[in-house]
Amino acid sequence: MTPTLPSPAHAQTSGTQARGGAADLHLHPRKIEPIPRDAVPVIEAVNVSKAFGATTALVDVSLKAYAGRILALLGDNGAGKSTLIKILSGVFPPDRGELRFRGEPVTFRNPAQARQLGIATVFQDLAVCELLSVTRNVVLGREPQMAFGPFKWLDMKRADEMARSALHQLGVRWERRLDERGINISGGERQSLAIARAMFFGSSLLVLDEPTSALAVRQAGRVLDHIVHARNQGQAVILITHNFRHALSVADDLTVLAQGRIAAHFRRDEIELDELTDLVARVS
Amino acid sequence: MAPGTGQGASAAQLSRRVVFGEAVRRLMLRPESTSLAAVVILFVVFSMLSPGLFPSKLTYISFMSVASELGIVSIGVTLLMIGGHFDLSVGAVLGLASYVCVLLMRDYGVPPILAAPLAVAVGAALGAVNGALVVRFRIHSFVVTLGTMLIWRGVVIALTGGFPVMVPIPPGFKDIMSGPLLGGFKMSLLWFFVIGGVGTFLLTRTRFGNWIQARGQNELAARNLGVPVDRVTIILFMLTSALAAVTGVIQVARFSSVDALRGEGMELQAVAVTVIGGALLSGGYGSVIGTILGSITFGMIQVGLVLAGVPGHFFRTLTGVIVVGAVILNTSVARRMARSKPLGGFRRGSEAADAAIAGIAAAAAAKSSDQSASSDIRRAGPPEEPNR
Repeated sequence: MTPTLPSPAHAQTSGTQARGGAADLHLHPRKIEPIPRDAVPVIEAVNVSKAFGATTALVDVSLKAYAGRILALLGDNGAGKSTLIKILSGVFPPDRGELRFRGEPVTFRNPAQARQLGIATVFQDLAVCELLSVTRNVVLGREPQMAFGPFKWLDMKRADEMARSALHQLGVRWERRLDERGINISGGERQSLAIARAMFFGSSLLVLDEPTSALAVRQAGRVLDHIVHARNQGQAVILITHNFRHALSVADDLTVLAQGRIAAHFRRDEIELDELTDLVARVS
Repeated sequence: MAPGTGQGASAAQLSRRVVFGEAVRRLMLRPESTSLAAVVILFVVFSMLSPGLFPSKLTYISFMSVASELGIVSIGVTLLMIGGHFDLSVGAVLGLASYVCVLLMRDYGVPPILAAPLAVAVGAALGAVNGALVVRFRIHSFVVTLGTMLIWRGVVIALTGGFPVMVPIPPGFKDIMSGPLLGGFKMSLLWFFVIGGVGTFLLTRTRFGNWIQARGQNELAARNLGVPVDRVTIILFMLTSALAAVTGVIQVARFSSVDALRGEGMELQAVAVTVIGGALLSGGYGSVIGTILGSITFGMIQVGLVLAGVPGHFFRTLTGVIVVGAVILNTSVARRMARSKPLGGFRRGSEAADAAIAGIAAAAAAKSSDQSASSDIRRAGPPEEPNR
């Protein structure tokens, strides 16, 4: 990918101090490859509209997310970001418009159907069960089992291996704390756990709802590193954020939502922080 | 997680005091610690109050009998509460399932060996009604089961007409359900321990157990990750009511009868036992072993107060005091302990700490195997947390 981004190997070896400021380091413009003409988006929303009673949440919104690219979704509170990702992850259907998965029209009746296609959504507060161990959190819903006749029980050894390799794959540096309960790992680690879990179980689209909003600078930098890592592994990523710096530091494409409509769409190298801040302030 | 001997060598330099402190800290972290303390303290207190009567086999048999019947109901309530729900209808389900069992045997001549499983199946069906109502209409289980409690109780009163219904019980059936076991204990104790063992295994070592805990902690996260949350809820309600029916059958075998108020009040006793056992009322956390100890606490209070010559109504008062005390201990103290750092510079869950504790425990056990202190350390020895 782009030379200014830390490679996964670099991210693992570099010191904490360097990673602390990671988010700021990438702020100067970088060259982003244009999307190839023949590329098929992993997910595409076409003229999607949604209203809740008298409140219009989305009007004719279209958006495409490609494999190996991070799309940042920006906008003020109430711009429709959450509604859009809930539609993409099958929480509720759009009133009008359609969704296409790898070019094929799809309708999701529930989140489970979206997940089966590899759409993994990480909601901010829903990353972990606080009193389960890290291992149990990683394998939740896909627990490996051992069987004897009709009796089945958890294969904790394999669960530990799965958790370890899931976390290792993402390059996190606390993969040995598998016994720790969810309540004892930090907010950033919870987000990383959720990302690792989604990638390990084969997601093709990672949707992240404000993954850095509750985090300290250093933790946010780490989570962003993990998001970049997921992108470099070929995931399509949709990143919802309030933080323009975070968006600019990792995203390949940026879409600004305002009052339920697409207000602007850029490639990362077409815009600067000041312009973006002005723009969002102006449209919302 | 076998203690590694390699790390043990480096940790051996730590003072025994620190290691003992860490062992105690870990013991306190377990959900069962409060109920274990309650059992030990009550045993000592009652033994002091009535030294000639309480520490005797007859007393043990007597309070374990009470504990078994209440405990089987409470194990279901515990699993359900860990899953984030309440069931106030267990007492009424117990009564109705008992009535069904008696009716099948008396009026339809069904052999007890068939009537008992049928009664348990009826219990499970009643539980399915609770579960379906909770899942379908998204009403809090407290309200749903408050309603079904009144409904089933009304049905039992109407069917029995308010009078006890007697039925002759074949001695063989009575022996299986509630007859004497080896050493004079009742068969219900065996059922209690078997169900307790299965319950513990289910909760801590199976996928379903993981789902129960996840459902109680973060329903949306669990649903988001593909856990069939609604199915888990319905199965839990069925399990709870089926276990209430098991106790119903045991009581039918013991009393050869059913009456209109059979099981009344048990729903709240089961909640009390569960809370003493270390489960969080908010769900997501608890232990079947804690509940077993909690029901033994209950049995001890009931029998011990009588033997100590205390007026019977103190039973409720003392139970209430213990419930409140247990909740305070379980929530505030345990939470503070959970956030505390391991002593002696150990890393959380480190093998060095496990090895040091195991090493000192072994040394202490070897030196003075008759001292009660060593058994405490040994109990704290296994480093694995119940829920891992």
